[in-house]
Amino acid sequence: MRFTISREKLLEGLQAVTAAVPAKTTLPVLANLLVETTDRGIRLSATDLDIAVSTEVSADVEAPGAITIPARKLSEIAKELPPAPVKIATSGEQRITLECGRARFKLLGLPRDEFPTFPQVRFGEAWRVKSGELQQLIAHTAFAVSTEESRPILNGVLWELREERMRMVATNGHRLARMELPIPGTDAPPSDLIVPPKALEQVRRLFPAEEELEIARGDNHLGFRSPFTTVYTRLIEGPYPNYEQVIPKDNDKHCILDKGAFTSALKRMSVIASDQTHRIKLSFNAGMLKFAVTTPDLGEAADELPINYDGDPLDIGFNAAYLLEILRYMPTDEVKLTFKAPERAATIEPHGWDGAADYLCLVMPLRLMD
Amino acid sequence: MSSTARIRVLSGPVADQIAAGEVVERPASVVKELVENALDAGATTIDVTIEDGGRALIRVADDGSGMGRDDAVLALERHATSKITTAADLVGVASFGFRGEALPAIASVSEFAVETAPEDGIGTAVRGSGGVIASVEQIARRRGTTVLVQRLFHNTPARRKFLKGARSEWRAIVETLGHIAVLRRDVHFVVRHDGKVGLDLPAAPSLRARLAALWGADAIDRFVDVDDVYGVLHLRGLIERPADVGTRARRVLLVINGRVVRDAGIMRAAEAAYRSTLPAGLRPSLVLDLTLPAGDVDVNVHPAKAEVRLNERWPTERAVEHIVRRALGGFDAAAGIGGWRTWTPGGDTGAGPRGDRADGIEPWMLRVPTAVDPEGLFATRTTDAPITDTPPADAPPASATHTAAPLDSQPSANPTAAPASTTAADDIVVPPLMQLRRTYLMFEHADGVVLIDQHAAHERVLYERFLHTMHSGAMPAQRLLFPLTLHLSAAEADAFELAAEAFAALGFEVESFGGHTLLVQAVPMPHPRFDAERCLRDTLAALAGDRGPSDAARHERLASTVACKAAVKAGDALSPGEMRALYLDLARTTLPANDVHGRAVIVRLSWDELDRRFGRS
Repeated sequence: MRFTISREKLLEGLQAVTAAVPAKTTLPVLANLLVETTDRGIRLSATDLDIAVSTEVSADVEAPGAITIPARKLSEIAKELPPAPVKIATSGEQRITLECGRARFKLLGLPRDEFPTFPQVRFGEAWRVKSGELQQLIAHTAFAVSTEESRPILNGVLWELREERMRMVATNGHRLARMELPIPGTDAPPSDLIVPPKALEQVRRLFPAEEELEIARGDNHLGFRSPFTTVYTRLIEGPYPNYEQVIPKDNDKHCILDKGAFTSALKRMSVIASDQTHRIKLSFNAGMLKFAVTTPDLGEAADELPINYDGDPLDIGFNAAYLLEILRYMPTDEVKLTFKAPERAATIEPHGWDGAADYLCLVMPLRLMD
Repeated sequence: MSSTARIRVLSGPVADQIAAGEVVERPASVVKELVENALDAGATTIDVTIEDGGRALIRVADDGSGMGRDDAVLALERHATSKITTAADLVGVASFGFRGEALPAIASVSEFAVETAPEDGIGTAVRGSGGVIASVEQIARRRGTTVLVQRLFHNTPARRKFLKGARSEWRAIVETLGHIAVLRRDVHFVVRHDGKVGLDLPAAPSLRARLAALWGADAIDRFVDVDDVYGVLHLRGLIERPADVGTRARRVLLVINGRVVRDAGIMRAAEAAYRSTLPAGLRPSLVLDLTLPAGDVDVNVHPAKAEVRLNERWPTERAVEHIVRRALGGFDAAAGIGGWRTWTPGGDTGAGPRGDRADGIEPWMLRVPTAVDPEGLFATRTTDAPITDTPPADAPPASATHTAAPLDSQPSANPTAAPASTTAADDIVVPPLMQLRRTYLMFEHADGVVLIDQHAAHERVLYERFLHTMHSGAMPAQRLLFPLTLHLSAAEADAFELAAEAFAALGFEVESFGGHTLLVQAVPMPHPRFDAERCLRDTLAALAGDRGPSDAARHERLASTVACKAAVKAGDALSPGEMRALYLDLARTTLPANDVHGRAVIVRLSWDELDRRFGRS
């Protein structure tokens, strides 16, 4: 194998795939990148066995071939190279030489056969989704996944494909985020896919917003493909819990809040809130929202925010960190809060949004002590 | 015979023989009485010679004040004593002997000689047998007294028959002398048995040094020093490091106001302080030296004075438990590898930081009641109740500061994740911490390298927090979007029924769903990676079939089980913020050195040991 590539193209390719290289692994070849020559240049691939990322960059190929190269070292070298064409060549199954200007490197790789094969995904049956729309869903829901290992299903984001619409839902059992977009005339088959957020993060990062992605399933995998880059991921096996059932339909109390003022007050209260539970108390009264927090051995804090609320007075406890997190993803300056009772779920939605999407977040309350 | 029997006063020697039955049980009691007399006479060196386990000869020579001729004769009379004169003196007796029974009793069952002189020069020798004085002679000798007891029990065959073998009697003598030597560290004791020196205990600057001479220096390394005042009670001593309990023979010694006594209540209280640090069935070695106001202790209960009566037993036991627990909470109580020096051996007198704090006679001098209300011992009973749970200053319940960085979202997504230090209004300095094998935290200390087991440490933190929560109120509970359904076995369901209230206090909101099925609506959130379902399942499985005797015991069991199941596990990678928070929380617990199963939380590797291993010493 022998090829010449510009320093910029090499860096571009490395940047795309190195995120998939595992930090620690028991399988040495996973610390390497697979480098293969193609018709158009070279293809770089990396995997941690959960996800795999593969990208093609242009290069002048003199002799076709393939080898695996230590990923971290190659990245470090690429960053320090002078602005000159990079020549990479192999001799035998393992030896690599890299030349750039007057700099020369010799590296020891591993034979390409040791690199795991990519999952079988049937791109022949692929459907198309606009990258920007997918990214919008990911950006607004993936934050809510669980990191607990006890319920692996909740570690993934549910991607629901239906006729004319698609939806993503994520929850950790305490709070939930759901966003839906219309996709008129889609060719996507109705399906429920539970996708690890790590893969979605790569999808969000790697594809330009205006690109059309091809998406296809394998038996237990999903592939996202653009003309140059492919992301594969393992799917989490369902079924996802029936989240529709827990989204309250009968929340009879609601108010519109200024996101900025609400956020500032919550942040002030958080200073005094317990570091473990972040528990604060919200008291909704006619015309006024009162904040209160009491943490034993530390102190108390209180604040007030005028609101247009005319429901019955209600005290409800929340994890302030959950509220603040949700508020950060709300796309509008005003948000609508709905609730019913101190032990029932509350919802937060954007207010006055002209986007096409339907967005809703839900938080379960914390029990108040007093 | 019965018709002619009349009541009459017993002759002196007979009465003495009867008293001897109480005071003089075996050679060791003779040694004890004679050595105590010597100490009461102000001796600085006491030389004890034993032959054939004390049956052939007991000789006690001192350099004390000695006696004049008249006193020497009178000393052999019953109830002749120089130590008290009126009944009122009985309150607050500070000398060892006071009944005036010992010498006549011993004399009545042996061949007996006293040689004594108040000054160098002319002295007196009194000899007798079976309690009858045979001769009183003038001799020349140095100041002091030598008492010779030969052929003990020669005239009471029944008692002689009950003596054990020479070796066994010798051991009893050594133990007795050991007790006395611990009390009087200012006195040089030499003990010979059948011509060989059995014990040579030069005056020692500290209890630790004296015990090192008695038991061997390495046996002493496993003890932690206690020196603490609680109300009017002053407790000093050495308590075994929990990690070392059970590794050697158990040694127990209790001293109250300068007397070695037995008191099951006090020992129980001290052992109670170890609760939750020891595996079941193990009991710690303890050396406790209590100083109480003389008026609060009655020592005139038992002729051999092995038991005392405390006027305020309950508060005293409370105080002992509290002080021992506080000492166990110290850094020294953690397990050590390779001689973590907390003490400099007796050689350099008082050079070490705590070298000379327990100089022989001190117990009597330091007995100044510390500033407490003048009502008397522990008069402030109302303040007793919360003491064991919330020690006054050193351990605020740790809820104030904890894990700063929830992990269930991107680190940057936590606006509330302010550094833990912002809320820590205390002076705990957190050293740079390093995680090893995702299991241990390591840091450098002035005396060596310290390792903390992250699971055990967190377990200890949670245990104390849970216990506190169960007494003080409800834990915040997070409502669940998808309630958990638990199917239990009959035994687990019973276990849940029994502890339902405590579970509720911990933040588990659980509904019975018919049969043995539970519906969990809300769970506590002690830390971000808490797995409520697994914790609840494992806890109920562990508690199944377990019927705690009392609410308190059940609460402790529940708290320890939940803590164990809820704590971060070995293998969990901790962020620097979490390590820091854990360190701070651990520092605030009352017993950081051990987890609830008695395993070590902290292990220390001393520089000495490292230097030795690298051949640098």
